[in-house]
Amino acid sequence: MSKAMFKMTTAFADVMPAEYVELVQSGPFGQGYGVADLGSFKELIEEHPLCAGCGLALAVRLIMASLPTPEDTVVVGSTGCSSLAFPQIALQNIHSLFGNQNAVASGLKRALKLRFPDKHKDVLVVAGDGATADIGLDMVMHSWSRGEKLATIMLDNEAYANTGGQESGMSPEGCVLYMAPTGKKFKKIALPEIARESGCAYVASVTPVQPRKLEKAVRRAILVAREVGPTYVQIFVPCPTNFKFKPQETLAKAKQREKDQTYPLREFITPEAQAYLAALEGGGKHD
Amino acid sequence: MPEQKVVAPEFMFTEAAREEQFITGSEAVREAVRRANVDMAVSYPITPQSESMHLVGDIYAEGYVKDYYRGENEFAVMCSVAGAAMGGVRVFTATGGPGTMRALEMFPTWVGARLPIVCAFFTRGINSPLTIQPDTIEMAHLLDTGMIMLHAEDAQDLYDMILKAFIIAEQTEVHIPVGVFADGFFVTHTRDKVRVAPADIKLPPYKPYSAPVPVMDMENVPFRQMRDPFVMKSNYVSYAAHASWQQEVLAAAERARPFIRQYLGGLVEVENEQADILVLAGGTAVCQSREAIAMAREEGIEAGLIKIKSLRPFPGEELRALTAKAKAVIVPEFNRVGWLSRELRNVVQNPDRVVPGPRVFGGMTMPPDLILAEIRRYARE
Amino acid sequence: MTNNNKTRRITLTQFNGGMILTKYHVLAGPEGYLPPAAACQGIRLPEVGWALIEGRHVPEQEALSAIVDKLLSAKRPFFFPGPNLLWEWKDGVAEKASALRKLADTAGARVIPMPDYRPKYPMINPAIEINPNHPNLTIWHNKIDVCVFAGVHCHYANVALKIIRGGTDCYTIAICGEAGHEDANITLRNAGIPQIEALTAMVAERRRLC
Repeated sequence: MSKAMFKMTTAFADVMPAEYVELVQSGPFGQGYGVADLGSFKELIEEHPLCAGCGLALAVRLIMASLPTPEDTVVVGSTGCSSLAFPQIALQNIHSLFGNQNAVASGLKRALKLRFPDKHKDVLVVAGDGATADIGLDMVMHSWSRGEKLATIMLDNEAYANTGGQESGMSPEGCVLYMAPTGKKFKKIALPEIARESGCAYVASVTPVQPRKLEKAVRRAILVAREVGPTYVQIFVPCPTNFKFKPQETLAKAKQREKDQTYPLREFITPEAQAYLAALEGGGKHD
Repeated sequence: MPEQKVVAPEFMFTEAAREEQFITGSEAVREAVRRANVDMAVSYPITPQSESMHLVGDIYAEGYVKDYYRGENEFAVMCSVAGAAMGGVRVFTATGGPGTMRALEMFPTWVGARLPIVCAFFTRGINSPLTIQPDTIEMAHLLDTGMIMLHAEDAQDLYDMILKAFIIAEQTEVHIPVGVFADGFFVTHTRDKVRVAPADIKLPPYKPYSAPVPVMDMENVPFRQMRDPFVMKSNYVSYAAHASWQQEVLAAAERARPFIRQYLGGLVEVENEQADILVLAGGTAVCQSREAIAMAREEGIEAGLIKIKSLRPFPGEELRALTAKAKAVIVPEFNRVGWLSRELRNVVQNPDRVVPGPRVFGGMTMPPDLILAEIRRYARE
Repeated sequence: MTNNNKTRRITLTQFNGGMILTKYHVLAGPEGYLPPAAACQGIRLPEVGWALIEGRHVPEQEALSAIVDKLLSAKRPFFFPGPNLLWEWKDGVAEKASALRKLADTAGARVIPMPDYRPKYPMINPAIEINPNHPNLTIWHNKIDVCVFAGVHCHYANVALKIIRGGTDCYTIAICGEAGHEDANITLRNAGIPQIEALTAMVAERRRLC
């Protein structure tokens, strides 16, 4: 552990709950672990209340295992399924309101820059598709346009899952959901393209089917956001509860969508970000 | 900019030599923020607030404020200052009228999150048809957000209240936002003599680790911490936790009372309070009331004035005591609903003595004669 | 849940022009379904050098003696250290934590930490930890009759203290490094190592005499 804040006082170390003892003894802080190390270290996420087979829960687990420096990462979330998991994650994180995550994160990032000018404090936004592409879209896009150095991740389950499965802007066209009783009348919002055109230096869409690929996108997004500019990663997280498939079919659903190109995997990198990543990755520091 | 020396708040507020400037209310905001050691300000244009945040932008350019930008709308601005406050810095913003309503969802969120944000509200009408003119109706919508609410009578009050609001808001046991309200145009756009402290002194910086909640910087504990987790499982345990949280926010405002007394000299100010006809007013209605009372005195009628400075916490005990012997308490207001008279009726004995008006709204001025007419009426009874 | 303390809790102090002015007493519960915040019942935080005993302003020394009485007469006293004393996140914390632990040990009290403030899913083990959202579960499970809060962020301490007063008969003590807690039955303010060590010395002396 690199920081004193992760060191227990000896006076009370004997009464600390096991989950904290494990975090101290074998947690990821200062260790540089990645998804390939899963199973060999104490993860940041504790037991959470999300549904069996939840693709979002799997993605959150993988994101947490992909952070370059969890000991200096603050997450800003939003209302939705993921906000039920975030209290159980061993990072300081903010839930403010539904959709305001990128505005909150803009203020937070600037505050941390003022207070810790010589440190990288990664501010990572993690929110659902409703929060990112619908109710919060203006704040998401404006944070990109302003060049706020944030990494924004959308957990795209293609519906408002936490409120019972309503249509979102990210639901596929024709999909029958609550509030779209005769099927959705318009296409899935092209947020990766919007991100690219709105000033993001790095954009990727991925699924949890290939954890290493997801990790690479998350790490690149965080690293590029440190030095170059805003970044966006869109992760497809199938929802068995609202799309009525069996929990064990989650990854198969994602795989099928990758294969039939209805959830295309993409990566856009600006030349500046490309050069920055080449310098970093060339050094073998991150894969 | 001159190098600014950090001084104790008490020195800034009472001992420091003051220079008289002839400035607008918006300029008084600039002068307060200049001396408040503000880390970050976020702005968004709305009349009659815009000029004040232009001027804050000017002093950011001069180096008095460390970061500043224009947000995308009032709601987003209130979210951004919340994020900055959770990151442990001192923040300032301002809005008014429809901007207040656009941002409304954030105000109780600030309070629940225990954020010591200082926000100036320059009030104007909010209902359709659109008007930019002064009206205090938006304050009715904010009375129960949990925020501390101070009402400035003039530019001097505005300057003093903004500076003092930071110190009140940031007390560990208080640590909730303070809204400083002033009547749009009447205060923001009129020039007045304002006595200000020297520009080479500033308030001490905010101390984030004395907050009653953890700071979101991964430098303090606990590191497993969401601000703020949902407390909404369907069981008594969750209901009790949310209820206790709400009560704690109310308690925080209660704990502000001694600091408001210390720094503002009380939640109310009184003149000639022995009179059996009293006028209770806030904001610019105070000036008009003072004028009306002077006119009444020329006619041989004695009336007293209660200027309400703090609406939240509400000076219930003070008002009960001050009005105990009055035969009438006239409440002139710049809004159609009469929220201040409603508030007063809730705390005084024999509320029938509360005279709910006169009222003007939609940008109308309040001729002192309207108040004088009420004073005369009750003097005859 | 009975509410037999209710009549003791509010006393008539003055009858003035038809208005009854009352004084609230911050007594151990169970107070009832939803007890009020003591601050909203007119209880003010103590000045520096002072403390509160059941809402009454007393010199700090008097509160220290009262804390010792409560700790030594308790059947099952427990200390609830919070995050600020569980981690060495800033200078001085380790020493303060050691002083607090010595006090707990000297008083024969057990320790259950409040390691964080999240509503914990799927459930909490009340023998291992206490949580501000449902502190009553830990009190009930461990049959705690006197508890000491220290190192808990003030907001969460107040949330928890009210719930404890509402639903349990546990007597609450706050050793607060900031401005104190009206919602505790006894609260110190600006309490640091000197106050904690004074308590330890007083407890040790009382034990020696008994």
